[in-house]
Amino acid sequence: MKLLRNTAIATLFATGALVMPLQAQELTMAVAAQSAGQLDPHVSTKTEDKTVFGMMFNGLVRFAPGSMSSDAIEPDLAESWEVSEDGLTWTFRLLQGVQFHGGYGEMTSNDVVYSLTRAGDESRSSVSSDYRAFQSVEAIDDYTVRITLSEVIPSLLGVVANYHGGNIVSARAAEELGEDFKTNPIGTGPFAYGELVEGQYLELVAHEDYFRGSPEIDKITVRYISAISARDLAFQTGELHMIAGSREDRWVNSMTASGESVVDVFEPGELRTLHVNTAMAPFDDIRVRQALAHAVNREELIAFAGASVARGNESPVPDGYIGHEPDLEFLSYDPDRARELLAEAGYPDGVTVPVAITERASLFGPMQVLQAQLSQVGINLELDVMEHSAWHAAIRDDASSLVLYGAARFPVADTYLTQFYHSDSIVKTPTAVTNFSHCNVADEQIIAARSEPNGERQQELWSEAQQLIVDEVCSIPVFELLQVWARAPEVNLGYELDGSLSLGPVITEKTTLSE
Amino acid sequence: MIGFITKRLLSTIPTLFGVLVIVFVMIRVAPGDPALAILGDNASQEALDAFRDRMGLNDSMLVQFGRFLSDLAQGSLGTSMVSGKPVVTSVMEVLPYTLELALGAIFFGIIIGLPLGIISALWRNGWLDYFLRVVSLLGLSFPAFLTAILLILWLSIEWRIFPVISSPTGGPIDRIYNLILPALSLGVIMVAYIMRTARSAMLDVLGEDYIRTARAKGAPGRRLILHHALRNALIPIVTVVGLYFGLLIGNAVLTEIIFNRPGLGKLIVLSLNQRDYTTLQGLMVISAFLIVIVNLLTDICYALVDPRVKLK
Repeated sequence: MKLLRNTAIATLFATGALVMPLQAQELTMAVAAQSAGQLDPHVSTKTEDKTVFGMMFNGLVRFAPGSMSSDAIEPDLAESWEVSEDGLTWTFRLLQGVQFHGGYGEMTSNDVVYSLTRAGDESRSSVSSDYRAFQSVEAIDDYTVRITLSEVIPSLLGVVANYHGGNIVSARAAEELGEDFKTNPIGTGPFAYGELVEGQYLELVAHEDYFRGSPEIDKITVRYISAISARDLAFQTGELHMIAGSREDRWVNSMTASGESVVDVFEPGELRTLHVNTAMAPFDDIRVRQALAHAVNREELIAFAGASVARGNESPVPDGYIGHEPDLEFLSYDPDRARELLAEAGYPDGVTVPVAITERASLFGPMQVLQAQLSQVGINLELDVMEHSAWHAAIRDDASSLVLYGAARFPVADTYLTQFYHSDSIVKTPTAVTNFSHCNVADEQIIAARSEPNGERQQELWSEAQQLIVDEVCSIPVFELLQVWARAPEVNLGYELDGSLSLGPVITEKTTLSE
Repeated sequence: MIGFITKRLLSTIPTLFGVLVIVFVMIRVAPGDPALAILGDNASQEALDAFRDRMGLNDSMLVQFGRFLSDLAQGSLGTSMVSGKPVVTSVMEVLPYTLELALGAIFFGIIIGLPLGIISALWRNGWLDYFLRVVSLLGLSFPAFLTAILLILWLSIEWRIFPVISSPTGGPIDRIYNLILPALSLGVIMVAYIMRTARSAMLDVLGEDYIRTARAKGAPGRRLILHHALRNALIPIVTVVGLYFGLLIGNAVLTEIIFNRPGLGKLIVLSLNQRDYTTLQGLMVISAFLIVIVNLLTDICYALVDPRVKLK
């Protein structure tokens, strides 16, 4: 056997075909996806695409690398900005000499006007609703842009940051390439599009003219590997420098214990929330909803997910978001009270509820725990386990009385409250977003907070909205699940990774790969 | 020969049309929304509606089918709803990888399965025969993905001989090197099929009168086996290879996913998950056509290995 092994190795050496060590400045990473989606930052909202957009594009401002706190917003393509007293006019002064990828020339105010107008156009953007309040975007001169709003936006800097529609694209490239732009995106970021092999990998190459300096890494290969076991194995053999991990205690512990990798657990925490359809029996009765809330044992769910990757939250707005209210009065775990409430509502022998759920473990697992907990008080869930895409379509078709959903959004309470709890966002309506509960009790506070110039009053309105939602039991926030990645020790990101709105570690011009 | 091929190709048109109708209807009645799957769950309702409108998904199924047939009549399989690339281009980009994987699996199947089948037949009912038959049963019972994972653990993780990610790029040597592990894992099934078929065919042939005559006339053993017996036992083996080519394409899905190789199987799964209707339709048409072509080639091979077979 040993002879056979040695012969095989010798033969492979002779043919020069043995696995070559990875080149020093070529970084290989794997995301948990089967392929890239559409590589247009205004179009795709998919996690796998967000991860690479952060390396290819810039906004007028940016979240400091490794942070997703609004306090850490800093200049990006804009060197400074001014805001009028009424908060409706914003003037941005742009950096000079910033170059687009692929010889598309210098970035000017024309590109900013084009990009922000495009981001607000529903036929070319998936996030157009974020720009509804944009009355006009004008180029004052080549390096000055003025944005006029029809109403105050709680955090305008958020929608012009390097996230979704705030990413600045080359106007000339977008116009010239048309539909092909999504397969040949042109931005100003430290890395430019190189090659995409569908279902395989995306190659990004260093943008030598990057305005913050030429990147240390020459090439990034982003591999699309959906199976965690396959990512793990390739990481173990050194074929990958970084991988999207499994958001489980067990995985984090085994990776950390191996001593051969650095495990990054970082923000945003995706809030797992059980949305309760208040328009559908039996949850149209608030007593049944309250029984449901009393039957949920958060501690057990957090223990199931694992303390290293999950944390509790009783508010409908995730922790760390501007406007999050941590001190709400909520219905705590009390199975006896849950049984009483069910009996009062006319279900002394319990009730059976059909519920649609995705087959993805990150939601299906907690749902099974919830199913066991709720059955203790007589709420029996009949789970209809569906393929992920089919489940997304079903819950938007208002086909489930309970929806366990996980999401991370731009970290301001308004985004979460508007998308999940404002009546305009109720599913199956022309303006639908993700209001699965048909909640409408906090519309007034959500709208008022949006244009409230006084910070303290704005926080009061947001807190009030969150308490109303909790009182009405529109949803039961369960726990937050953090992002998990592993990297080889030789990868130095060049910053402390506490959070990333790209949902993955962004490779910057300062990231290095030691020998 | 040309007449035979033309006739066979023409006879595939109803089959392909049937496949087309079934696939077209099935993917549209399956739950799921292409707009959501492609744009992501954070896309606004306006953007989702605009996408459906742009892709003609709001039209009736009949109108969509008519449009597809009209494109097909003009030689176009449409463009991908995700990448915007012509479907033919997407398929042609990955088809060579699936073909080389299937051919690699067949190669392993033949070089391992055929000798084992012959040995098993020659030592009929001996301990070696029993042993090989059990091994072949194991090969048939092992799902391709399990074989793939075991091979990775053994040859990639433990011995570090082959890479976990089979990236079919670079020169011919790199490409063959990257192909070995996936082809071997897929080929295990072929080894089992070919071995069992070769054993059975050899046993039939070895019992024939002409073999007894050749043996009586003192034909040397090696010549008797390879020239007289094997040549005549090849027809069922060729049939098995042809028939199971389709099975290999099916099993290639898992192999391609585990080794992260591009290929038809992986593209089918990807298109299915993304609800990329146009790519899926095109893929099904091409896959069906491929199976038809392989069956045709199998028939042609019969004539090559057995002069008694005439193609009419």
